[in-house]
Amino acid sequence: MSQVEKKTGLLRRTSSSKKPLKEKVVLMYDEIFAKEDPAKNNPRFWDELFLMKVNLEYLETKLETVDGEEVQKIQDNINSLFHHCVQALGEEHQIKVVNALQTLCALFRGVHQKNKSASGFDIINMLMGFDKAEQRMKDLMERLDSLLCGEGSESLKSLCLKLLLCLVTVTDNISQNTILEYVMINSIFEAILQILSDVSSRGQHGYDAVVLLALLVNYRKYESVNPYIVKLSIVDDEPTLDGMGMVVHHALTEYNRQYKDKEEENQGGFFSTLTSMVGSMFIADADEKLSVQTNEAILLALYEAVHLNRNFITVLAQSHPEMDIPTTPTTLTPTTPTTPLGTTPPSLDMMNNPELPLDPNLQTSNLLITFLKYASIVMQDTKDEHRLNSARLCLIILTCIAEDQYADAFLHDDNMNFRVNLHRMPMRHRKKAVDKNIPSRPLVCAVLDLMVEFIVTHMMKDFPMDLYLRCVQIIHKLLCYQKKCRIRLHYTWRELWSALINLLKFLLSNETTLLSKHNIFHLALLVVNLFNMFITYGDTFLPTSNSYDELYYEIVRMHQVFDNLYCMVLRVSTNTGQWKEPASKVTHALVNVRAIVNHFNPKIESYASVNHISQLSEEQVLEVVRSNYDTLTLKLQDGLDQFERYSEQPKEAAFFKELVRSISLNVRKNVSLNTLSQGVLLKEFSTIS
Amino acid sequence: MADAEVSLSPALLHLSPSHAAPPPPPASTSPTTFSCPSSPSSASSSSSSSSSSCCSESSSDCPHHHHHRHPHRPQLQLPPPPNSEQPSSPSASPRSSSPSGSIGSTGSLGSSSEGIGSSGGSSSGEQRGPTPPLDAISEDAMEMDLGADQVIDPEVALKACQEVLLKVKLQNREVPDQQQVDNKQELDDHQQQQQQQEEEDNQQQQHQQDDHHHQQQQQDNQQKQTHPPCTDPTESSGPQWLISPDTSSIKEEDEEEVEEGGSGKDEVKQHGTSSQRDTPPPSSSRLESSSLLSASSSSKQSWLLRLFESKLFDVSMAIAYLYKSKEPGVQAYIGNRLFSFPDSEVDFYLPQLLNMYVHMDTEVGDAISPYLIHRCRGGITFSLLTAWLLGAYSSDMHISTQRHSRGNKLRKLILSDELKPSAPPADPQRGGSVSGSPASSPSNRRCHRRHNSHNVDSTSPFPSPDSPVPGESEVFVSPSRRTHQRSKSDATTASSGFGSGLRRTGSNPRVEAVPEELERLRPQRELVKSLLGIGRRLATLPTKEQKTQRLISELSLLNHKLPARVWMPTAENQHHVCRIPNTQAVVLNSKDKAPYIIYVEVLECDSFETSAVPARIPETRIRSARSAENLDCGGGVTAANANLSTMTSEHRTGSFSTVPNYDNDDEAWATDDIGQLQVEAQTSSSDNISQFSVDSITSLESREPVFIAAGDIRRRLSENLAQTPTSFRRDPEDPSAVALKEPWEEKVRRIREGSPYGHLLNWRLLSVIVKCGDDLRQELLAYQVLRQLQSIWQQERVPLWIKPYKILVMSSDSGMIEPVLNAVSLHQVRKQSQMSLLDYFLQEHGSFTTEEFLTAQRNFVQSCAGYSLICYLLQVKDRHNGNILLDSEGHIIHIDFGFILSSSPRNLGFETSAFKLTSEFVDVMGGLDGDMFIYYKMLMLQGLIAARKHMEKVLQIVEIMQQGSHLACFHGSSTIRGLKERFHMSLTEEQLQVLVEQLVDGSMRSITTKLYDSFQYVTNGIM
Repeated sequence: MSQVEKKTGLLRRTSSSKKPLKEKVVLMYDEIFAKEDPAKNNPRFWDELFLMKVNLEYLETKLETVDGEEVQKIQDNINSLFHHCVQALGEEHQIKVVNALQTLCALFRGVHQKNKSASGFDIINMLMGFDKAEQRMKDLMERLDSLLCGEGSESLKSLCLKLLLCLVTVTDNISQNTILEYVMINSIFEAILQILSDVSSRGQHGYDAVVLLALLVNYRKYESVNPYIVKLSIVDDEPTLDGMGMVVHHALTEYNRQYKDKEEENQGGFFSTLTSMVGSMFIADADEKLSVQTNEAILLALYEAVHLNRNFITVLAQSHPEMDIPTTPTTLTPTTPTTPLGTTPPSLDMMNNPELPLDPNLQTSNLLITFLKYASIVMQDTKDEHRLNSARLCLIILTCIAEDQYADAFLHDDNMNFRVNLHRMPMRHRKKAVDKNIPSRPLVCAVLDLMVEFIVTHMMKDFPMDLYLRCVQIIHKLLCYQKKCRIRLHYTWRELWSALINLLKFLLSNETTLLSKHNIFHLALLVVNLFNMFITYGDTFLPTSNSYDELYYEIVRMHQVFDNLYCMVLRVSTNTGQWKEPASKVTHALVNVRAIVNHFNPKIESYASVNHISQLSEEQVLEVVRSNYDTLTLKLQDGLDQFERYSEQPKEAAFFKELVRSISLNVRKNVSLNTLSQGVLLKEFSTIS
Repeated sequence: MADAEVSLSPALLHLSPSHAAPPPPPASTSPTTFSCPSSPSSASSSSSSSSSSCCSESSSDCPHHHHHRHPHRPQLQLPPPPNSEQPSSPSASPRSSSPSGSIGSTGSLGSSSEGIGSSGGSSSGEQRGPTPPLDAISEDAMEMDLGADQVIDPEVALKACQEVLLKVKLQNREVPDQQQVDNKQELDDHQQQQQQQEEEDNQQQQHQQDDHHHQQQQQDNQQKQTHPPCTDPTESSGPQWLISPDTSSIKEEDEEEVEEGGSGKDEVKQHGTSSQRDTPPPSSSRLESSSLLSASSSSKQSWLLRLFESKLFDVSMAIAYLYKSKEPGVQAYIGNRLFSFPDSEVDFYLPQLLNMYVHMDTEVGDAISPYLIHRCRGGITFSLLTAWLLGAYSSDMHISTQRHSRGNKLRKLILSDELKPSAPPADPQRGGSVSGSPASSPSNRRCHRRHNSHNVDSTSPFPSPDSPVPGESEVFVSPSRRTHQRSKSDATTASSGFGSGLRRTGSNPRVEAVPEELERLRPQRELVKSLLGIGRRLATLPTKEQKTQRLISELSLLNHKLPARVWMPTAENQHHVCRIPNTQAVVLNSKDKAPYIIYVEVLECDSFETSAVPARIPETRIRSARSAENLDCGGGVTAANANLSTMTSEHRTGSFSTVPNYDNDDEAWATDDIGQLQVEAQTSSSDNISQFSVDSITSLESREPVFIAAGDIRRRLSENLAQTPTSFRRDPEDPSAVALKEPWEEKVRRIREGSPYGHLLNWRLLSVIVKCGDDLRQELLAYQVLRQLQSIWQQERVPLWIKPYKILVMSSDSGMIEPVLNAVSLHQVRKQSQMSLLDYFLQEHGSFTTEEFLTAQRNFVQSCAGYSLICYLLQVKDRHNGNILLDSEGHIIHIDFGFILSSSPRNLGFETSAFKLTSEFVDVMGGLDGDMFIYYKMLMLQGLIAARKHMEKVLQIVEIMQQGSHLACFHGSSTIRGLKERFHMSLTEEQLQVLVEQLVDGSMRSITTKLYDSFQYVTNGIM
């Protein structure tokens, strides 16, 4: 029966010119869109309506096609429809609830589709009527809240979340969605938290809940006080925060896994056929090589949590056994749509299991590690707009983390050693690092590795200046922490030094092209100041005395770069122009590096000539360095260990606006109410009632 | 003998008459009324004790009374004189009313002694007769007492004691004549009669003794009150206990069966409510068994009696007699005497008691079980320890017998938690040392229940009483001290106008109906279960690194449930565990098992069972907590650090106050301020400011450029690095080395700084090693022997130094160990330092002449001597350097007593020497001719002589544990004999000296020691 109905519904859409039999619900819709009160002739009209299977397409198209004047006339009926939808949500009859939810969704969508340019007030007026809007929305939100928090059916909860997601994303710019004002007043924050704190509901709805929360937090973020921001910032209930972390963790893990599968598939091999089958279940277009679509919504949620809530930081370090075992097909229950980046991730069953699995092969992991891996993948290729945004967001999150003292504490915790297999871009001039050999180290080493990796791999024409800035700033913040707390990290600083010097070299050689778009002096200043940190404060955080010698060795070895840089900045700073000021700052910053170069170079040359060696070995140079420290005087520079704290506003506001817009579009595209097929629901509810 | 008979029988008669008159109260109630199952004296003492409240008092007093009593004993003429002239007096009554147990005996006596009055209903006329003699005594005693300004109780107590013994003697003789199988009915009658008699007596007493007037009345009341609920099956079964020896055991088992079987809630409730239930078993069983006493010469008895009554009689002797005596009367007596010893002393012998309980004949078990049950009621700690040990010691039995064994039944009984603390008035152990007082006040009960209800809700690995749940913390924490967290969640929930059916309901303790008692043991058991579970899972991981990672992550999950009403059983003081600093945990070296060490933050409290569980403080508190500590205690942190954190805290106080000001905090987090706070969080940066001020002030102040020498920087770097030379390198293959090397104080300070609870004054750090897959029973045995020897040496003032470390056996293959602090293994010392032991000493303690070195050297010698003796006596094997620790004061400490007595690691013929004494050791002692080496040998001699003097005490520990044990150390038949021989009782001191010389010589020259070390190096990489 329902099948037939569905078919007719579909038919209607494609061949609207013909006049086949109209299903009953469509007739009822037509009645609504007539000017008379449908309940006038049939007092049980509304009762009956919600017993009918919703025809979303018809309703939406109908709303879309109504033109301006007609709207006025049928507004009462639409208001009435909305009102009855809200009332139906309180019905005991689950079918009615489902239909009401879907109808509401169609209403929101249809009205917005129709009135893309209309002001929010018009839309509210059309849906609810100005005078009653407040009450209607209050009722709606209360009903939704109790549905979400009640003991009811899971599919129903899922549908509620879909409705909310639908409502939140009806406009491209979330802040222009005036209806959300009522969602602000009638908060469903607690309902979202409850979903996240409960293991089973988290498994089924966690993803939607987190995305919804991330979007709500971004509603008029900068203009008004958003209660969701306030509330999110003070949540301290660990199970809840942990639940949120788990959802993010899982989504990122899933991404990493898909990427890995793709990669293996590309490399071909015995495993590839199998994984491609699994992979193609999740990824719609298999042509796309190695580019699994990023999930900015979940990343945004992570950002908001890290940025707003200081308790969330602990969740980052919360370890879980790694969850990237290929998931079983049982996860594809009908309730979870299999859209490519659908709003529901394919497998969340691991989270349903409160007991830690006993698989000895599982590497222990935590959210931070998973995030770092994710970042390493995303950063590989920043040409794609989405990936660039993701990479930027990753770096912003890392910035927040690096600024947090507690996070720093566990990043540097000597007892928390992990192997983090970062993804490295295959490049011509280097072999792919063998994964197995990565030693187990404090987490901060992985962060530094990631930064070094980024620096080395993104020196390209289309220079991602802001990413570089963030990257260098993150390193700086970590160094400041180490200096402050006198933590001597056993890290191969040499790799960092040479990466930084190479970066300077790149800036120099592409000066002209880069200068047209970027202030390269700012970046150069930051890089030089990193060296200054090492030079002046190395005694507080370098791990061995040798490492200080090696620093000098590296500087002296690459003195050409510093010399050239000095020449360049000197030249620019003597000219008048927009770069005069920044360039002269770099000249000042270079004072110690130049002192070192000028001090040791002659010594080394004389050592070579005295000993008649043309090419000094590293050991010999180090020897010279060691014996000539005492005659070198350095200048103490101010504020090396100070940094500008991250603040979202005003600098990043534009970025986040754009990001949220793109996420909204994406989510809207993928919120699919239809996937929740009526059949499933009928089956479920027939057993209930 | 005759005297005794006379004196006693009257007593009986005296008792019997009374029952006729009043309507027979339910048979078994009488035992129960006397809450104090403790020593025979208890009842009387309680009656005379001034406290009106309850017997609980009396029992705890018991030991005390006994002590008092001793001085008077001689005057009191033990055994009791059979005077008969005395008129009946009130003081007689306490005796008869005395520990309910007497009922049984009197019952049987009654029938037997009816040589005088043949039937249960004996003539009332005679009743006056019997009492006098005892009366006289008691009166005398009282007079003396008064004269000596003593309390009366001891006397009365003593009297009761005597009486019991007397009866025992009597019975010995009577029983054979008598029909063993008394009609049960008759017995019941007897009991009833007796009880009534008791009541009567009490009343009599009231008239005569004003002192006692008050309590007795109370007692009467109690008795009366308690009559009704006597329907309890267990109670009615009371009489069964009296039945003849053969049947008794069976019946008793049945009875236990009933107890266990009836796990239904009804019964549980009855347990809880009927106070009588608590006490009867001890006494009744005691008497019953006493009635079984086989004939033995009364003279012997009296000597024994004298011994038992003497002040020399201590727990050790009690255990010895319990073990050796085949006479049920003696066993029963001792079973009762146990009540009079301080808990802590008996606790030491708990393994012995339980092993006897599990493996020896029923009589012994019967004698002990009242005490055990009583103590289990008293405290969670004791209950769990007992349950664990019972499980472990039962494991050697055949599987089929094991299921039905007594030990297993008791274990189940304990774990089913039916032995909940008795109702407050009846709980005798209140204020007892270890057990602590059970939750008695109504409010506490509520707490319990609440958290239980929460437990039920939570899906957690183990239940946390209150932790993150706001509603809970409210219960424990007074409103004014409500935590930060609480107020915040208030904020979150309060602002939502509706939707009350949310998670708040989850935490809302609505389910209060759950009986608290069921959950009494659960939190702790769950904790232990999780810890052991972690250990098992870790064992499946291949590398140490993975193990440690997994360990850390699993522990972090545990942390979510803390603080909770759980404790570390190895600790001395009462506390609650509040946090496990999971990143500090480390996996220890072991080939295929995964023992690991965890550090546990605890908050000390008065009683972990009743004190409120501390409220949870979120982890991110750390930042402010750190500064708070500096402000409050201001110690132990480097200047720079302190400076820094002070800055931060000062800055922070502006917006949200630091930890100590919880109350202000509440307000700070009120909803109104949230917006403001958020702004603060976004814009201001406390870190910046503090850094700024510390680091850059100097350079800012002076506009002049500051110059620094590169050489200085380089020098500071190497100096700074040189400052921490003694820490070990981090080695992925040996992660524990670093963790163990870190000085304990340092570690405590560090963890305290990092802990959100660190600012609390009662904060302590504990550590514990969790072992899975290892049988620690042998370790426990070794621990006991070590402790015993240690106390012997202390007593004899021999300055030998040993460090027994606590062992907690949880099953036959798991347990916990108290780690030795500030100690690393010789293996680790060698591997990390790459130098000889002497050089290491010089490095750690300074050159030869420094005080530090000399102290360390003396410590080394004293500990060496101690452990040499122990290794010799116990034949400790497997002495490779991984099993010998060196602490920061220079002591060596042997660990791992997996191979002792008759067992040794494979029979390769290694380690034939008496103990391990390498030339390295001798070097540290200053060489063969050094004074310290001579001192070493002298210490050993003294130690051996002292140990020999108290050999029995040591032997006894081992011997009892051999019962029914399949432990490797008891392999073969000559274990005990061998041990005994090593004490060389027959040698003169001169000969002993020669022996010591020989042992030392032999050990030093032993090739096998070296061989074994190199064998260990080759096979296990232990240096």
